[in-house]
Amino acid sequence: MTRVLVPLAILEGESVSSGLTTLLESANVTVLGYHELPEQTPPDQARDQYGSRATDALEDLAAEFGVGEGTADYRLVFTHDREQTFDRVAGETGADAYAVPGATGPIDRLLVALTGDVAVERIVSFVAALVADRGIGVTLFLATDDEAAGRELLAASSVRLADRGIDVATELAVDEPPLEALVDAAVGHDAVVMGERAPSLLTLVFGEDAERVAAESVGPVLVVRNGEDDESANVD
Amino acid sequence: MDEPSPGGTNIEGESPRVEPTVETEEATITDEAELERTLGLSGGLAIGIGTMIGAGIFVFPGLAAGRAGPAAAASFAIGAAIALLVALPASELATAMPKSGGGYYFISRGLGTLLGAVVGLSLWFGLVFAAAFYLVGFGYYAVDTLAELGVAVGGGLVIPLALLFGAGFTVLNVTGTENAAKLQNGIVALLLSILVVFLAYGGLDAAGLIGEPTAPEQFAPFGAVPVMTTAALVFTSYLGFAQVATVAGEMKDPGRNLPLAMVGSVLIVGVLYVATIFVATSAFGSEQLSRFGETAMVEVGRHYLGAAGAFAIVFGGLLATMSSANASVLSTSRAIYAVSRDALLPRGASRINLRYGTPHVALGMAGGPILVLTATGRVELLAEVASFLHLIMYGLICVALIALRRDEPEWYDPDFRVPGFPVVPALGAVASFALIGFMQPASQLVGVGVMIATAGWYYYYARDVDLKGKL
Repeated sequence: MTRVLVPLAILEGESVSSGLTTLLESANVTVLGYHELPEQTPPDQARDQYGSRATDALEDLAAEFGVGEGTADYRLVFTHDREQTFDRVAGETGADAYAVPGATGPIDRLLVALTGDVAVERIVSFVAALVADRGIGVTLFLATDDEAAGRELLAASSVRLADRGIDVATELAVDEPPLEALVDAAVGHDAVVMGERAPSLLTLVFGEDAERVAAESVGPVLVVRNGEDDESANVD
Repeated sequence: MDEPSPGGTNIEGESPRVEPTVETEEATITDEAELERTLGLSGGLAIGIGTMIGAGIFVFPGLAAGRAGPAAAASFAIGAAIALLVALPASELATAMPKSGGGYYFISRGLGTLLGAVVGLSLWFGLVFAAAFYLVGFGYYAVDTLAELGVAVGGGLVIPLALLFGAGFTVLNVTGTENAAKLQNGIVALLLSILVVFLAYGGLDAAGLIGEPTAPEQFAPFGAVPVMTTAALVFTSYLGFAQVATVAGEMKDPGRNLPLAMVGSVLIVGVLYVATIFVATSAFGSEQLSRFGETAMVEVGRHYLGAAGAFAIVFGGLLATMSSANASVLSTSRAIYAVSRDALLPRGASRINLRYGTPHVALGMAGGPILVLTATGRVELLAEVASFLHLIMYGLICVALIALRRDEPEWYDPDFRVPGFPVVPALGAVASFALIGFMQPASQLVGVGVMIATAGWYYYYARDVDLKGKL
């Protein structure tokens, strides 16, 4: 079963929409409640004051993901650097993807962007496992400069999903700014799946691609991780 | 593993908060939550060097040369040697107990609550004295900066400016939620670059390879005793490595990074200090340096590199004293949290502000006394009392190490072990306590007064609290 990490700024009231909860029913979920602190405040000191309140809120949220059925667990982290925390916990739990929660109702159609530094193979199999046989439609999206190769990749990938009985459409953006084209394509979809991208100067300035997509498209975004650093999974 | 139950309560019925934790390289894991370790080696070095460099390079050279002549370089070297003798044992203890609180934590767990309370509360005041000292140094540089910019305001504004910025740092630390750590790293890197260029040029000049040869001066014109009293005065320049231990709970891979950050920062600043004094006393006679006072280095910069040199040093001095003062305010707040967690101060002292997420009570308990002491403007007294209170802790850190090693408890498993045990910690303890003897009587009186007051507080407030061995 795939595992998805759902990080939530627990003390800032961040929560998950029912649509995302439903979408993730087919996956194991680790709810990562985190609280990011200014450097003046030792994490221990914040835990002292907020720990029990955060645990209460986290237990309620995790229950929605099915802690009772054993398909979900939760962790609470106090940190100065949330990105570092996401990476560590994702690595330790061996998560295939992490979620940027957004607002959405029932999810009928996913936009799946075959971009980022993650192998297309990995994104496609993640989507196949996530959608399973639930009748959720998928639009495969690719932004590229090379139209011919792009069409070929989309066709090959859509066959793999269609073989499993998934309703697949494709959308190709040629010579357009990839992120803008992705946000435009997200209209009419309830959530976005995309590949993780290595941090660059642009992500330092504008924030992570996934968070920009989530902000612009309002809906949730699932980011498929580059699995290479997961060998350390489940180290105590 | 069965943990011993937390020992005792204070006068308000609060118990020390002691609980089992699992330490990994990346996080501290408690029953309830994980605490991410986010400080790397460069962050640790920046705290150590950033705290120390302001005093040793930018404030002391004039004062020290006036007291000891060119032998002030030896005073700084003695300080470095003592600091190293303590940094090594402190590193071992920090890797065995990588928790916030630093020296206080080791001593309260190794030697018991009374000494722990005296050290923990004295550390609070020691940091307050140190921060006040850095702020007064900052005031001198601020006035000099204005003078370099053509605004002559005179020495009367040193204290008002220091107070203004002291209040500003406190408020910024309460309300500022931007992470300034990266800025601090950048400032330290910039300072090191300025100093290396300046010292390389000045060193070549002083060695007679370029520029005009200068008349050599007698090395120790006032004899050996002033070298020791000067070492006692300038020891304030080496207080920062213990601040690294106060953030031990937030360091990544503490077994490796803590010893490297503590010992490394002492070595780096020690070399810089000795080189600075050599360059400064080669530029001017020590008597003249002494007349230049707290900002003598500006004149040294002008001597070697003209107006640009003076400006670089003034600018560096402003940055360095600011970063020292700010780092000390942050350390003070952590020191207060450490004793309050152990019920030696009311729990309210570690409250976090709901709006900003910052420890406003502890920051206020740091900022208030700092401003009062800054207002006195007594540079040498502030520096010596700060050193006094730290040296007591340093000596006891060494004693705690010896005590723990002689009868190693089951939990004691440091990643780093001091070479040359027991000689190194024994020498560290003796040297720390001995250096106090070379201070001015006024500083010794104030220091002893603070310690008696803290012991009195312990007997009044927390005599039933038991911390020894309670991890």
